[in-house]
Amino acid sequence: MAAKDVRSELRSRSALNAIGMFALTCLAAVSFSIGPFRIGTDDRPFLLSLLLWLCLFFSAMTGLARVFVKEEEMHTAASLRLAAAPGVVFAGKFLFNALLLAALDLLIVPLFILVMDYTIARPGAFAALVAAGSLALVSATTLVAGIIAKARVRSGLFAVLAFPVLFPALFTAIRGCERAAAGALAVAPDLALLVSMSGALLAISVWLFPVVWEA
Amino acid sequence: MERQSQPRRAASWAAAVGQGALGVWMAGVIAAAFAWAPRAAGFGGESSRIVFFHVPQAMIAFLAFLISTGYGVAYLRTRRLRHDSAAAAVAALGLLFCVLTTVTGSIFARVNWGTYWNWDPRETTIVMVLFIYGAYFALRSGVDDPERRAALASAYGLFAFATVPFLFFILPRLTVSLHPSDTLAPGGPRMDPRTLRVFLASVAGHMALFCWITRLRLRLVDLEEAILEPEGARDAGC
Repeated sequence: MAAKDVRSELRSRSALNAIGMFALTCLAAVSFSIGPFRIGTDDRPFLLSLLLWLCLFFSAMTGLARVFVKEEEMHTAASLRLAAAPGVVFAGKFLFNALLLAALDLLIVPLFILVMDYTIARPGAFAALVAAGSLALVSATTLVAGIIAKARVRSGLFAVLAFPVLFPALFTAIRGCERAAAGALAVAPDLALLVSMSGALLAISVWLFPVVWEA
Repeated sequence: MERQSQPRRAASWAAAVGQGALGVWMAGVIAAAFAWAPRAAGFGGESSRIVFFHVPQAMIAFLAFLISTGYGVAYLRTRRLRHDSAAAAVAALGLLFCVLTTVTGSIFARVNWGTYWNWDPRETTIVMVLFIYGAYFALRSGVDDPERRAALASAYGLFAFATVPFLFFILPRLTVSLHPSDTLAPGGPRMDPRTLRVFLASVAGHMALFCWITRLRLRLVDLEEAILEPEGARDAGC
């Protein structure tokens, strides 16, 4: 399922282009407005972590819904329902979104660090937190993407539905990345919280997905 | 015919008396909150009196969310649209109480912390619940088919409910909060006896108000269903 979506995406590149260009535009806007010198040394770990996650979040909002929306638009959803069980469909879509977001992270995070001159004291912990935060993002948004694919108004609704569910994870990721950048030793609780949130959201998504898929 | 309408008339009288009693009760609570309960130490001006309204409203906002989610589960199990209509009706009340909680909390924050809003963890929690309610209604308005709307709204309600433990219990403990500590502490409420009495009376009054309005809304849902059903049967050619 995920391989099919990857092949299809590599052919059309609709989600890749949308998500990638939005992320680059966001980064350019942040870099142009603030640059590497306007934020004081003490505020840099927090504010740059916040700006990074805002870029990642809004970029994800532009592209993560495509995985289900395109099935409805191309009228392939019905044949997908016949071809595979809901659990398989969800797993495939989740994996595809995870790969998409991983690609976004690999593109944006190093660029952000470079252009904003973001000094990170604990890069390993920082990378783990970005990965865990992205996992939480995908865990929350895959089901929401399935929901909005059935709605009349899709574009604005995805962010509206996803944000309240994502807020605890976003807050934890921003805080954790701030601590990793500042060199704090206690990042394990933030990592554990992100992983447990991802687990909880994923479990409930898998449970609810058949309802959404058959609606 | 006269005998058949008597139970109904008795029920109407009982309801009217109950509503009157509730009105008197709440009027008494408001009067006692300002005139009888003492001002609590450590708070600016008379702002401590907001506890008689703010806390019960927050309780009901959460309770309504719980009940609405319960109706969502009931819909998913039975596929009766009445349960979905009830979920929406209760959620609308929950949204109202959530707004009231946010407003009363902001007033308290302005008096005590100098600003209406500073993203205190408790403020953040209640506004996220407000966003969840708002998203729920935005989703409902974006789906035309009633059964699809019911399924998606129920699924989203349940999904959003999964974040409640994080919002209510974990998030407020991750950062420092200026919000007064839990009103009903494990060791017993740390309130003046008069304050405690008015507070509990206010909780009871707010709960009764919520139950009454919920009952009215559910009756409206039942009436709408009764009006629509004959039309459905007509369409089916019965």
